[in-house]
Amino acid sequence: MTFGEAFFGMSWLDAIIRIVIVVLLMTVVVVYLTYGERKVIARFQMRLGPTRTGPAGLLQGVADALKLLCKEDVRPRNADRWVFEFAPYLTFIPVFLVLAALPFARDWGVRNLALGMFFVFAVLGLNIVGVLMAGLGSGNKYALLGGVRAAAQMISYEIPLVVALLAVAMLAGTLDLNAIAAMQESRPFVLVQPLAFVIFLTAVLSELHRAPFDIPVAESEIVGGYFVEYSGIRWSMFQLAEYAALWAFSIFGAVVFLGGWQFPFGDDWGWWWQLILTLVKSLLLILLIFWVRATLPRLRMDQLMSFCWKALIEVSFALLLVNGLFLYFGWSEIILAVVNWAGAAAFLGAIYLRAIRKPAVENLVGAYKHAGVSPP
Amino acid sequence: MITEVLWWIVAAGVVGASAGVVLSRSVVHAAIFLILSLAGVGAIYLFLTVEFIALVQFLIYGGAVTVLILLALMLTRMGASGRPEPLTGAQAPFGALVAAALMATLIGVAVATAWPGDLGGSPTAISIERIGAALFQNYGAPFIIMAALLLVAFVGAIVIARQEDGD
Repeated sequence: MTFGEAFFGMSWLDAIIRIVIVVLLMTVVVVYLTYGERKVIARFQMRLGPTRTGPAGLLQGVADALKLLCKEDVRPRNADRWVFEFAPYLTFIPVFLVLAALPFARDWGVRNLALGMFFVFAVLGLNIVGVLMAGLGSGNKYALLGGVRAAAQMISYEIPLVVALLAVAMLAGTLDLNAIAAMQESRPFVLVQPLAFVIFLTAVLSELHRAPFDIPVAESEIVGGYFVEYSGIRWSMFQLAEYAALWAFSIFGAVVFLGGWQFPFGDDWGWWWQLILTLVKSLLLILLIFWVRATLPRLRMDQLMSFCWKALIEVSFALLLVNGLFLYFGWSEIILAVVNWAGAAAFLGAIYLRAIRKPAVENLVGAYKHAGVSPP
Repeated sequence: MITEVLWWIVAAGVVGASAGVVLSRSVVHAAIFLILSLAGVGAIYLFLTVEFIALVQFLIYGGAVTVLILLALMLTRMGASGRPEPLTGAQAPFGALVAAALMATLIGVAVATAWPGDLGGSPTAISIERIGAALFQNYGAPFIIMAALLLVAFVGAIVIARQEDGD
């Protein structure tokens, strides 16, 4: 066996055609995701959103893309030239690699890897590098702040994300994404592991810098974060990477938790139904993410970090432990599902109770503390 | 054929990036070259068909370690990116000596050892199940001791870094 056969398996032409199809699909999806987000958010705020460009504003994304391509590409004088110019591409490469490992229908992805889920984790870690390079290379304090915030946030939330997905991989007994999807013929894993799904969604919101975790790109605080200094085509590379990552994560979540191309009737109705299932499920997850953005206000940085380190990580490790116990003693899946639903209800209930509690000011904080005056 | 060409490109990239780490004039550039170099080593692992090790290399060295270095740079030298600064001092010859000795040792060990499982010069793929079984069954105790050691170091680092009101 030569290296080529061992590693790449199929022919080069086949791989290139598949990559081209996925990239084209991704470009169209990203253009319409920006349109879709504006429409959905507008409806939540009782507005209309884009209506003028094309029928119902459908060409808005195309017009925006053309405008961005024509804009001047400005580079600040004290920016670090090569770091500044390569950073947008480095944020995009990991997202693209994730897309190459996802199964869209039975055995249909760019590559079906035996370690698919682990590949996604490994590649996601590289995503931070581009953000950090943008923050460091811009020669701008706001960009630096945004980069530091983004890196701290992404490193932290990667842990509960990975642990919650590993809990599901334990039940499936494999890391192969195609096999995980095929296993969900009778029930999607979200019915068995709702707590893992909640942790996954929360961590994904944070990894993508979506509201309420959009602190690194908060316009009202640090004027836009790590891509402050970018304009034109490089700025649009950041946007492309962000929306492509949103789509990739949604497909990933749909495959792992919602049954991917398999549930329901995936095997019986053929490949077109499998493709529709994957895409519709991923769009539902994206809609949920937009919905969260329209509903919740932005958190503070310390709230964000303490929520991850003091709540999410502990809960996800407990989940891993409980799943291990169930697998070791071979208890039935129904009991596991009931325990997990109870856990998810308790977790969400605790968050809700904490959110609606009355603020109890016991100690003076901030400026009051230094001035020594009593709070109003 | 095309795989061998790719291998040479990746290998040249690793060597070039490693040279960039020690020769570049700015710490930020050196850190970014380090990421390139480590990711290239991960790609070399892919050519050797040890996919799991390759992915671990990307995850730990490409993702976590170098990000920590970059984060530390951001927190300590605000906006010092791109400015040239001297990276070599009086200890440079000793560093070169240690590096040369280490390289000689590693090459000697790699060439002299009869590695198990190499059939006819081509590498054998090892499944993740075998790695998992070895890690958690045969070598379970060392694994747990390592984990405890890391936990102690972690708690110790937090205690040292933490500043109470009175400090």
